[in-house]
Amino acid sequence: MITPMLAQASLLADPSALAAATRAVNLLGALMLVSAFFILAAKRLDHAIYASAAQSVLLALAGAVLADATGVRHLWVIAAITFVLKGLILPRLLMFIVARLRIDPAIEPTPLVRAPLFLATAMVLLAFHVTEPLSGLKQAVTGDALPYGISLTLVGIFIMIARKKAITQMVGLYTSENGIFFTGMAVSHGMPLFVEIGVVLDVALGMLVMAILLFRVRSTIDVVDIDDLHHLRG
Amino acid sequence: MSLPFLDKLAEISFLVALSPLVTGWIKKLKARLQCRRGPGLLQPYRDLSKLFRKGRVISRDTTFVFRAVPPLVLGATVAATALVPVLAARPGSGGEGSILGDAILLLGLLALARFVLALGALDAGGAFGGMGAAREMTVGALAEPAMGLVIFGVALGHGTTDLAGLTAERTSLGAGIATAGTLLGLLAALVVLVAETGRIPFDNPDTHLELTMMHEGMILEHSGPGLGCIVLATHLKQALLMALVADLFFPFGIAREPGGVALLLGAAAFAAKAIALAALLALVESTAAKVRFFHIPSLLFASVALGLLSLIVRAL
Repeated sequence: MITPMLAQASLLADPSALAAATRAVNLLGALMLVSAFFILAAKRLDHAIYASAAQSVLLALAGAVLADATGVRHLWVIAAITFVLKGLILPRLLMFIVARLRIDPAIEPTPLVRAPLFLATAMVLLAFHVTEPLSGLKQAVTGDALPYGISLTLVGIFIMIARKKAITQMVGLYTSENGIFFTGMAVSHGMPLFVEIGVVLDVALGMLVMAILLFRVRSTIDVVDIDDLHHLRG
Repeated sequence: MSLPFLDKLAEISFLVALSPLVTGWIKKLKARLQCRRGPGLLQPYRDLSKLFRKGRVISRDTTFVFRAVPPLVLGATVAATALVPVLAARPGSGGEGSILGDAILLLGLLALARFVLALGALDAGGAFGGMGAAREMTVGALAEPAMGLVIFGVALGHGTTDLAGLTAERTSLGAGIATAGTLLGLLAALVVLVAETGRIPFDNPDTHLELTMMHEGMILEHSGPGLGCIVLATHLKQALLMALVADLFFPFGIAREPGGVALLLGAAAFAAKAIALAALLALVESTAAKVRFFHIPSLLFASVALGLLSLIVRAL
């Protein structure tokens, strides 16, 4: 495996390619952030699922750009896994569940959360603010990946809080997970390959568990709104 | 009269003369998307000449305010055109010590036109006018800050709100203009463009008798040359906002040195950008449904949020 140090050295050879890669990472980070906002603002489940798929494809693109720029080969593997699993297979599975369970496609807002977009904007501001002292990390290639990644993670968790359908919980989890991956890939040239594959598998497994559980819940009590869980008191 | 002044005058005339064509092009494109032949590209010109030849009917119950509205609206919009570089962006012609203003004045002039139009609608006392004015002001209260955020987000990176200087600097960036901040700002600007031109999903420009209409509701009482002035101002505002979006986000091709060739190139570049933006508007209008009035704020909030994001990304 190529060490980050070696990769850095190979980069410095071509400053213009480097600047282009940095800009591409920044643009992809911004687009991923837009997709997260779109998921948060979405009024229909299928829109949120498609946006999450697009976000994963953007993450895969960012992985490919980083792999190309840094020469770290296992980033290609991660990009490919992200594209196939999170960009293609999981969204289809989600759509299948929505169709099969005949879940109402409308996403109702949680009444307690007002102006979600502004709260999310505040989170992005927070992410950019707290990473300001770490601007040493804004080196070549990485760009603003750290604040973008943290923003995505926060907004993803916020989506899980602000939306109450089980499917939107899953989409929010993807978003925050994409954020962690984006940060990991850009800032530290990726975690070790096995860790990343393990995390992706975890997500896929989580998806399967949720799917099976949803089918069970549906067949037993006919509702998949997690809000009803609040009435359960031990 | 100095040469830059004449240049600017030519630029304004260019935009005023061509703005109905932009509307005609959007109408034509929409018709083609709906498998209709649609009216000819020059139909807006024919409409305008008809309006200017017709007589004027003014309600007994109106005051002088109503009669002052059409020239004021057109005047404010034409004055706003003077501030936006369309063919040429030379900081000398609009920079320090020049008589022209900056982006803040531009926002002010557009707000003035909106205010005067609403005032006229209220003065006539019709039910449609009052409702249209109330709705227009509600949308305006949200669209103007969004527009301001977009402009100031871009201006922040260059330290000037003078649009000519800003455009010149943006042009010199070359491919470096494609930053995350630009992208977020452009997305916000496109939402505001649709809102400010009064198109679906915000307002339907084709309807003349509907309870949901905003702009058409406000101008219902106007007739003849007065209506002509307002319709021309609407065409002009649309072209003006397209020029503004092009200046801020893809200023390539705009003339930066004096001379006829550069101006011609600038005109060609502007035509290409206007055609592309108009195609986008027509596409959005043909594929989207008009949203309920009470959902319009959430759409504009999204634009404001994107504008804020572009500001955060640039500033921190």
